[in-house]
Formats: sequence, structure tokens, C-alpha cells
Amino acid sequence: MKPIYQFLLLGVLLSSCKKFLTETPNNALPAGQSITDVGTARAAILGAYDGVQNYYAGNYPTLGVMPADNVIFNGTLSQYLQLDQNAIPADNVTTVAAYQGIYKAINAANSVIAYVPGVNDPQLTAAEKSTILGEAYFIRALGYFDLGRGWGGVQLQLAPTKDLSGLKGVKRSSLEDTYKQVQADLNIAEGLLPEDASTRNRAQKSAARALHARLDLYRGNWDSAEIYASAVIANAKYSLVRPYSSFFTSPFLSAESVFELTFSANDRNSYWNLWYPSSAGGQYTLKPSASIVSRLNDPAVGGSRKALIAGSGSSVYGVLYNTSATSTDPSYVIRIAELYLIRAEARAQQGKLALALGDLNAVRARADVGPSAAVSASDVLQAIEDENSVEFAFEAHRWFDLVRTKRAGVVLGLTNSNAWLFPLPLSDVLSDPDLEGKNNPGY
Amino acid sequence: MDTANLWRVGARMRGRLRIILTLFVLFIYCLPVFSQETPVSGKVYTDEGGLGGVSVAVKGGLRGTTTASDGSFKIVLRPGEKILVISYAGYETQYVGAREAASVLLKKENRQLEDVIVTGYSTQNRKFVAGSITSVSGDAIKSTPAAGFNQLLQGKATGVQVLANSGVPGGGITFRVRGNNSINASVDPLYVVDGVFVSSADPIQTSIGQQQPSNPLADINPSDIENITILKDANATAIYGSLGANGVILITTKRGRLNAHPRVTLNAYHGWSNAIRQFKVTNGPQTGLLANESVRNSAIDRGQDPSLVTLPFANPDTLPTYDRFKDLFRTGATSNYELAVQGGTDKSTYYTGVGYFKQESVVRPSNYERYTVRFNYDNYISSQLKVGTSINISRSYRNLSSNDNNPQGVINSALFVRSYLPIFNPNGTYARYGSFDNHIALIKNLDNNAVGWRTIGNVFGEYTFLPGLKLRSSWSVDNNDEYENNYNNTLISAGIATNGSAASYVTKNIVYTNEQVLTYVKSSGKHSINALVGNTLNSVVNKLTTATGQGFPANSIKAISAAATTTGSSSSAVSKLVSFFGKASYTYDNKYTLDASLRADGSSKFGANNRWGYFPSGGLTWRAGQEEFIQRWGFFDELKFRVSAGLSGNQNGIGSYAALGLSAGGANYLNSPGTSPSQLANADLTWETTRQVDVGTEFTILKRRLSVTVDYYDKHTYDLLLNVPVPSRSGFTTYLQNYGAVSNKGVEVALHSVNFDGADFRWTSDFNISFNRNKIVKLASDIAQGASGRNISILRKGYAVNSFWLYRQLYVDDQTGNAVYEDVDKSGTITAADRQIVGNALPKYTGGLTNTLSYRAFDFGFFFYFQQGNKIMNMNEFFMVHGGTQANIGFVPRQLERWQKPGDKTDVPRITTFSSNPTQNDGAANNYGGNVASLSSRYLDDGSFLRLKTITLGYTIPSSLVRRWRLSGVRAYVQATNLWTITSYRGLDPEVSSQGNNQNTAGYDWATVPQPRTIQAGLNVSF
Repeated sequence: MKPIYQFLLLGVLLSSCKKFLTETPNNALPAGQSITDVGTARAAILGAYDGVQNYYAGNYPTLGVMPADNVIFNGTLSQYLQLDQNAIPADNVTTVAAYQGIYKAINAANSVIAYVPGVNDPQLTAAEKSTILGEAYFIRALGYFDLGRGWGGVQLQLAPTKDLSGLKGVKRSSLEDTYKQVQADLNIAEGLLPEDASTRNRAQKSAARALHARLDLYRGNWDSAEIYASAVIANAKYSLVRPYSSFFTSPFLSAESVFELTFSANDRNSYWNLWYPSSAGGQYTLKPSASIVSRLNDPAVGGSRKALIAGSGSSVYGVLYNTSATSTDPSYVIRIAELYLIRAEARAQQGKLALALGDLNAVRARADVGPSAAVSASDVLQAIEDENSVEFAFEAHRWFDLVRTKRAGVVLGLTNSNAWLFPLPLSDVLSDPDLEGKNNPGY
Repeated sequence: MDTANLWRVGARMRGRLRIILTLFVLFIYCLPVFSQETPVSGKVYTDEGGLGGVSVAVKGGLRGTTTASDGSFKIVLRPGEKILVISYAGYETQYVGAREAASVLLKKENRQLEDVIVTGYSTQNRKFVAGSITSVSGDAIKSTPAAGFNQLLQGKATGVQVLANSGVPGGGITFRVRGNNSINASVDPLYVVDGVFVSSADPIQTSIGQQQPSNPLADINPSDIENITILKDANATAIYGSLGANGVILITTKRGRLNAHPRVTLNAYHGWSNAIRQFKVTNGPQTGLLANESVRNSAIDRGQDPSLVTLPFANPDTLPTYDRFKDLFRTGATSNYELAVQGGTDKSTYYTGVGYFKQESVVRPSNYERYTVRFNYDNYISSQLKVGTSINISRSYRNLSSNDNNPQGVINSALFVRSYLPIFNPNGTYARYGSFDNHIALIKNLDNNAVGWRTIGNVFGEYTFLPGLKLRSSWSVDNNDEYENNYNNTLISAGIATNGSAASYVTKNIVYTNEQVLTYVKSSGKHSINALVGNTLNSVVNKLTTATGQGFPANSIKAISAAATTTGSSSSAVSKLVSFFGKASYTYDNKYTLDASLRADGSSKFGANNRWGYFPSGGLTWRAGQEEFIQRWGFFDELKFRVSAGLSGNQNGIGSYAALGLSAGGANYLNSPGTSPSQLANADLTWETTRQVDVGTEFTILKRRLSVTVDYYDKHTYDLLLNVPVPSRSGFTTYLQNYGAVSNKGVEVALHSVNFDGADFRWTSDFNISFNRNKIVKLASDIAQGASGRNISILRKGYAVNSFWLYRQLYVDDQTGNAVYEDVDKSGTITAADRQIVGNALPKYTGGLTNTLSYRAFDFGFFFYFQQGNKIMNMNEFFMVHGGTQANIGFVPRQLERWQKPGDKTDVPRITTFSSNPTQNDGAANNYGGNVASLSSRYLDDGSFLRLKTITLGYTIPSSLVRRWRLSGVRAYVQATNLWTITSYRGLDPEVSSQGNNQNTAGYDWATVPQPRTIQAGLNVSF
């Protein structure tokens, strides 16, 4: 028996090696060691940009157009029908994905903000460190701004999530407090970020200022909006490009662009697929409405912006996202035309009608459309609203503009103002005690 | 390796081992010693002559021999030894004295209760088994035209629910043993083929919608299978510890016998299949009429004058109708050819078989093709040492076709497109509408090839130290390689934009297992013991390499190397498992058996704090039929009661690194590498545990004509491996933790009856029925999913998994024509709060009835399968009874039943696309849109059915005739499969689960290939 006994024990021992049971992945870093040196610091900030890409590639632009009047549902997937009909349940796939995607980007930015200051790597220069941090503050600001205008005031997470216990006790803030956080982050970002003559797909001082101008517009801080918009417009790095279509034509990154997210063959954006008909390889779920088609085709309204659509008859489709062969369309986050229209609106609100019309007409002229005939303050504001609708026909603007100006009821017939905010994800209401079981009103 | 570590971990098991080993030692010392001997020689034969390979053992002793090929044997008896035990699988065991040994006649056995069955790591006499185990012979599943043996177990065994998810050959199936135990971890059982743990992970990467693309067990040729054993209760499965909670399926393949002449068998059949039912849509004029009605009604709802509205079709009657289904459906061919040789010498046995199987789908263009080779070999190097190997090599080929939720799938492109739209453009090119592709373009150009190479093999050595004491060491691998090449040329929608696109995947799923088992079997007087200890090292490796290419110079050039832009990636994951186990079974006086087992498992998947799990079980068997007071009664030929309880665990289906906090790579931007937080750490993560109690009885009555098995079980699975939703503001959406509980309770009844047993005529019936009730006992919060974001399936505490979450349509108001839904919260409006659970995809019971009749040379069999109480979400009607809201989709005839005028009684509401006031009950918006958005119970159907699964008529040519041709047996037969079905289901086929890729979204019917109805003719020849 003795040899058997020993043989068995040997087998038992050999097989119970603790090492045998320790396995680590080869495609991920342990959470505690994710930002330790120059390489991982750079990777972490790029990961935060990747988070912005994830929600801006398709979901967020869809939320900006589908509930409004420029784009109609033409497919089979319910989430788009729900957005189009403004009957959005709390488990709508697109609103949930956008909401979760934004917080994922914020968490990535929070990790950078928390850990990069502690990195002691001689190869990480002070300048690069401050750039990385500035970018993280910008991304967090963008995230909270996009949450605020879609869902109202949200819960402000300002530290990376290490475990669930750290989440407790964070209640929803007011929209005003959410926007204050955005402003605070933008102020830090503006201080830390660099500015060069060519970068458009990473945050720079001008991107922070441009977002600041937009924030002021949403908050009605007209003078500040004008100042920040002017600061960006004054930068020779940016101009209204001609023809209109050149900003959404490869190789992109035109002088029009203040901030856009670049995609590539290895990092694809297939948003075009939702816009193109199946005869061109797409799914044709999002279709330009009859009204935007007629406005774009009207030389006195759309002008050269008719390049946004193709096809004819009942199969007109949008071609803002058009790299169907390569899927490399950027996400257009801030264009210089928006700064003109922000300043126009801010000026009109301050009674500077001539200057406002000047900005408005700059945008119109670029699209080969004659000057606006608006005279009165209200006509000018209406003209700016209409211009926004055409200039940013398929970008994340129209819905948020109508909600911001409280005109969604008048323009869209959506008189129930509860529907002006998206619902929080159902799973959050159920799983987050700090929401106290409450969604946005009406959901 | 670190020896100190080794010692520390090993010490946990050492105490237990010492006890068991001490027991062994005691038995060894008890062995008697003898000196004088008597030689005995004899012969064993059957009705057909001498039989080789028969076991001849000395009763009470541990020695024995086997007969030579002519049936003769020689053995030496020692003093005190008087009786020889002559046994052979499939025959009644004979007990003979030395004199009677000269000529022993073996009779074929018909007794279910007395055979030997395979259990975890051992074989046991069924009489004494305390666990709930069902055994199905390989014969019961052969020659049916389906690729996977597991699919063929449908209706053949109690406690097993089997459903083909679609009629795609070699496609995914649903297989559950005693219900769904889990929510996020796997619910598939453990498959063990000849001692090899095989992977049931689907290796196919190509997305074919939400369907499971393949059945990984289809790589095994059902004809090579000798026996399938299904371990169901805790006592039977606990020995597999953490792998056993979902049940264990043990497959034993055919092996040769010692001293047996080579026996060659040839099986061939050919079959023709068509669809049980084909799709029906409204014709052109009907579609135009409905489209007009929608526009007119919507105008009325908006307060417009309907006479001023331009209708889409001025004259719908003139619309043409294009039949797309004649292109879609076909008569599919099935071919199967097999050749096997088995036999043995006095030192070795062999079985080798080759097979070829090809099956065409009844819907173009899918095919499945399989080549298999099996080689089983055992060699007795000495009387003590046996080595052997079992190897299965197979090559499978599939051309995959996407369906269900993919609008560019073949069925979608034929079914959903409006029937008045031409298939071709005037210039002869393929016409496409809305989101849909052209079905003919797809049929002609789809090019998605998946080639699998699978090797399941082991080598083992078995050393007999002393009679009854054996050590077996086995080294196994399951190497599953899948190589996929997909090419979308410019003639199909998926390739148009990119000027051709291609993807190539290499997937490797490898399972390595090493196992040592020491078994001890001993009978002495009224005591018998059967004990084992062992250990297992198990390692699972998953690897994937992907390449894609876009932009090709010509449709004939498909290699990714020729593409304009290319990308590639690779990934791998490894998980490991270390196990120690022991099991002992003690029987007293052939009446009472006590079973106990314990397994300890350590897994690399779990948190450092909770890596090890311990899974004990125990069982008790009482053969009451052996008691005098029962025997005196004379009613029972055999009567047995058993009870068992125990724990088993589950760790499959979660990620290899699920317990670690991670920041994942691949979050890249600007072609530079990025990382992003991807997973929260859970150092406490541990086993999902199933506690099961089983009470059963087995009895035989009426002179062994009727055998009955009844089981009741109560399973409680707790510490579920659950992806618990966490607040999104954390930057994560779910957190894997041990939370939640699921309960499954059920009753199983199996009957085996010999209805008539005459010289010429013989008729047997097998009936089984299984009831299971599933309930989620504990859950963090509702989890809704399914149907591409429509969240029609819900997991909710207090309800069964696979529940459907919809608005309950009460009726259609016969005055307004609007749908009226149940206002659950009595708010007077229809909101999300009114969505409720209205049914479930799980059947209340399933079962089968098999009848086998033979009259002289003819045999006749028929097999019914039934299931009752499950619901099916008919997504085809969901889309095609749309009231005009889907501008690019046609209608099914049910839409014609819509309400049209006051007084109409129907459940299909008035057609409209009006969308204002989405909260109004009995309002136009909620007919097909609004808050309800067609998530209405009117599309939920009863999926119960009774189906004549197979019916067979065979003729065996008399042996006197075939011997002249030097053959030993020839049988010809015809068989029909899925010939006849009773169901109230409105769709094509009630045997369907289109979203089967996710275990929690069962019971959808969505643009799916229906089950084939097959007629086949076949021939079995042996010589």
C-alpha cells in the first residue's frame, strides 16, 4: 500500500498548486495599476476619448435629431420609432446606451484626474501632464453638459469608481448645479489645455472656450456667450469652409472644425449605415423628413446645404455620414458655424440686432444663401432658430435647441413638457437607492 | 512549482484521503488465502451459437476470465468456490455450478431495473443506485435525420427538455436538465464523452442574428454511441461538483469485445425534406387595400377630411403579386453513410467507424456536412495493466445564413418586403426596399463558410493492484477548431457600400483534462462496497483570431490579402479547475444501499477569498422488493425506493477573469492604444450552488411486463452568478456577484411496458412525462431583454425565467375599433406601469411516447413528442400586423381580420398610424404604436404541440437468406420525421426559439427556418 499512498499524495499535491489557479488576462490591466507611468497615462486619456467616441458615434446625434422634426423613422427597430413618436420608455435602447456611455467616459476621465497627478515618471513632462489633465476635465465637462441638456440635472460623480460602496449618498443635482460643474471643469480645462494651429480632434483651449460659449447660451448668459464665441471666432485656425460639404468630406478635420472625433479604418464609425438605403448597403432607419428635404432643396433656404441629402422621390436619404466604403466619418461635436450662430443669438438677445444679423448672414453666405430679411428682434431670433435647423440638420442640435428655448411644444406639438427630458434608464431607477425610485417627471 | 504552497493546499484533502485509504487497507488484509484448486472448462452460447468475450467470474471471489471467440473458457476453482457468474451486457446473468458450466445458454435480457449503468466515474448495478439517472441506448437515437445526439434525446428521457431552436441543420438547440438553474451563468449540462469533458461553447463567430449558430455536440456521430446516461439529481451529479449543477450527460461510445470476430456494419440512408408549413403574406391587392385604409383612417384620426387625402394606391386591385417563397423553400436532401468495424483478440479490442452526413436546409441556402472518424482501442498489456484510447475526429462544414433580427437575412428579405414590389428592377438588377436586401441576391451570393475540426480524445491506463482495486489515469483533450471565411460581394447589401467585405475567424476552444481515479469494489457475504477517490486537473483555453478586409478589386477575389483596408485582432482566455473527489457506496444484504460523495473544487475564475467550493451528497436506497413481506404479496417483481440530497455547483458561462478589477485595452483613439475601466473587482466571487433533494421509486409489476420510475425533485439554486445592474453613474452597468436564487421543482414519470411478447409478435411501449416549475426566488431587480431592445423577456422575482412582459390586450372595442389594454395600475391611462407578465416560454410539461412493434421480419415504430403550456412570441406577426406603421413591411393574412366598422368582433384593432395621445386606452395611437408600440399580448400564442416525431417501418431479411451472401444481417427501412403535428400555434412551426443565443430570451419566432419534414429510406447491413 505504501507506494500507492505516496503516488496518490504526489498526484494530489502536484495538482493543487496555487499557482495553477492564478490566471490573469493578456488584454487588460489590473484596475489598481492602470495609470502608473507615461505610457499608461497616455493610454488612459485616449481611453477617455474612446468613451466620448462611443456615445457620439451614433447614439447622441440620434437623440439630437430623432425626437425633433428633421428626421423620421423608416426602419424596423422600436427604439427609433419610440424616439420619433416621443413616446420614450425608460428602457429605450438609445437613451440608455447614451446615458451609460456618457458616464463611462466620465469615469475614465475621473480616473485620469485622480491618478495622473500622482504619476512620477520623468518621461511624463509637466506640460504633457497638464495637457492630459486638461483633456480629462474637458471630457468630463462635455459629458455632464450632454447629460444635463438631455436628462436635466444629474448625479455628479467626481471620483473614479473603485467599488460600489463609494457611490452612496450622491443625489441628483439641479440642472443649474450640473451646469456649474461643467463651467468649473471648463475653467480648469481652459487653463491647462494648450493651443496649436492644427489640432482639432483633441481638446484645446478653443474647444473648451467653444463649449463654454454653448454652455452660456443654454444658461442664457448672453454676454459671456458672446465673449467666449468671439474668442474662438477670432482664432485664425477656424473659418467657415466652402463649399459647405467640404467639412464632411474626407479627409475631414477642416478649418470648420473646433472639435471633432476622428475615426479610422481600425476604429470605425458605421453611423452611415442607419441613414443609407439597403440598395446602398445601409438599413435606412433614419430618413430626412419631407420638411427638411424641401428646405434643403430650396436655394433660398438650404443653398449648398442640399449636399446633405441624396436620392430622389420617396427614397431621399441623408449623407452627412457618408463614408460607406470605409466607415471613417468623424463625429462632429463643435463647428465654427455654431459659434457664429451662438454669438448671433447672444447678440440678438442683448438687442445687438445688426451684429446678430452679421453673424447669421456669415453662415448663410457660406451656404450660398442670401442675407436674412429679418428685422425685428423676434424675427431675427426665429431666423437664427431656422438657420440652426438647416445648418445642423443631422447633427445633435435641433431637439436640444427646441427644448432649450422651450419651443418644442409650439414647433413639434409636444405640449407635454415632461417629454422634453429623456427618461433615466429604468435599471438606474431600480438599482440606485439615491434616486429614491424616482425617474424624471412623467416616466 | 512552489512545494510549500503545494503542501499547504494539498493538506486540505489529506485528512479525508487518509480515512478512505485506511478503509482500502483493511479490506486488502481481509482477503482469504487458499491453496487447493479444481480446473473447470465449459462453453457459453446463445441462440445464435458460441459467444466470445463473456465474463466468467468466481462468485464471492475476485477472479475471472472471458470466453474465447467460440464461447469456450477455462477457469480454476479453489476450495470453497462453487458458483460461476456468467455475464454479458444485454444478456441475463447466469449463476452456474462447476458441472452445469459445460454448456451455458445466455438469454437476452429485457429487464430495465437490473442492468448495469454508467455513473460518475464508475459503473453500478442499477438495482442499488440511489441517484436519479436515466439511460438511453444508442439504438434509440440512431438513423434520425438530425446532426446532434443531444437533439435526438427529445422525448426519450425524463427530466430533459430538448428543443431545436430552428430547422437549420446542425444549428443550435435548447437542452435543459430539470429546468433553468441560472440567469447569467450557463444552463447547459456537462457533456462527458468517454471520460473527456467536452466543450459545449459555440465556436462560431459569424453573427447569424440572435440564434445560436451551431450545436457543438453535433461533431459526434450518433451512430458511434453505445449509451447515453443522464445524471440528474444531486447524488448523481455531486461527484462532478462545480460542473454538475446543470446535469451531466455521459456518453459511452462503442468498443470492441475480447475474442470477437470482426463485425462490419454498414448503414446508409437518404432522405428528402420540406418545410412543415410555408409563410403566407397578403397578396398585392390586399396589401394595397390595407395601405390605403391606413392612410384614410389616420387622416380621420387627425381630424382631416379623408376624401381629400391622396391614397397610396388609386386602384389596389391592379397591383401585382410577387411570390418570394417559391425561391426561398426547397426540398432538401439528407444523406448519411457509415461504416464501422469492431472486434477483438484475446489481448485487445477495437472499434473503428467512419461516417458522412449531409443535410440541406429546407430554406435556401444553408447546408451542413460532417465527416467523422472514431477509433477506440483497448489493450491488456498484462493481466494487471490495460491501456486504451478513444479518439473522435470530425470535420464539419456549414454555410451560414443570418435570419431573425437581421433585416438583411434571407427570410427577412423574402417575408417582410411588400408582396406587390417587384423582385427585380426594370434594368434586371436586384431590387431592394427599405432596410431589406433582395432574397435572390442573398441566396445566390451568400458566402459564409464555417469549417470545424474537432478532436476529442483520451489515452488512459488502468492498473489493477488487486482484484477490485484499480487505478485509472486518463489524459484527455477536446480540441475544437473553427475556421470561418465570410465574403460579402457587391451583389448583396452587406458588400455594396464597401465594394466587397470579408471576415475571417480562427477560433480554438480547447479543454485539457487529467484525471486519476482509484476504485475499489468488494463483496463479501451480505456486504458490498463500491468506493473511489480521485482528482482532476482541468484547463479551458479559448482563443480567437480575426481578420477583416474591405474593398475588393473583383467579386471573384475573396482573400483578405487583396482588400484595400484590413484589420486584425487576437485574444485569448484561460481558466483552470482543480478537483478532488471521493465516493463510497455500501450495500447490505442486497437491500439497503447508502451512498455518499464529496468533491472539492478550486477555480481560477473566482476571487482569491472564495476560490474553493465543497460539494457533498448522500443517498439511500431500499430495495423493498427484496423484503419478505413484499415478496409474499406477490404484486411487485421489483420495488425500490430511493432518496438523495446534496449540493452541486456552477461556474460556466462567466468570463475567465470575472473576479478581477480591470482596465481593458482596445479603447483606442487616433490609432494609438487606450485603456478604459472595464470591470469592477469582486474578490468574494464564488460558486453558484444548487441544493437538490430527490425522492424516487422504481418498480416492476405484472411479471416484469411493466416498469415504472417516478421521481420528485426540489432544486434550489442560490448565490447565483448574477450580473447585478449597478447605477450607470459608476461608469459600469453591471457587477457580477453572488446574488439571487432560482427554484425548480418537478415530477417525472417513465413507463416501460411489454404489451405483447409472443413468438412472432412483440410490442413494447415507452412513455415519459416531466413536469417542471421554475421560479425566481430572489433577484436584485427586474432584468428585461430580448427582441432587439424591445425587452419582451423579463426576469422578475416570483415569476419563472423566460417570462414575457407585454401589455395585455383585453379586447378590441367593437364600436371604436381600438384596442383596449388592461390598466394594471388603474390610472386611467396606458403607461409603462401597465406592462405585465402575460405568459412564459417554458412548457409546463414535456414528454414522449415510443412504440416498437415487430412481427416476424417486420418492425414498426412510432414516436410522439409533446409539450404543453409554453407561449411563443410571434415576431413575424408583431411586424406584419402593423396597421401601416411599418412603411416598408407587408402584411400577413391576420391583418385582414382588422376591425372595419362598428359591430365588428375581432382581436385585430383598426388600422391607423395616428400617434397623438399615446397614453389613451381605447385610443387610436395604441393600436399599433403609442406607448404600447405593438408590445401586445395579441402576438403571443400558445406554443403547445403534439408531434409524430418519427414513424418507421423496417424489414429484416431472414438470416437463412443473407448467410448465403456471407452477411449476418440486412435490414431495410423507410422512416418519416415530423410527419404530423397538432398545435394551435399560428406561425409556421411551434418548435422554435429564434433568440436562442441567450438563455433568457426563449420562445421567439422570428423569420426562422421551420423544422423539416423528412421521408427517408435506409439500409443496415452487417457481416
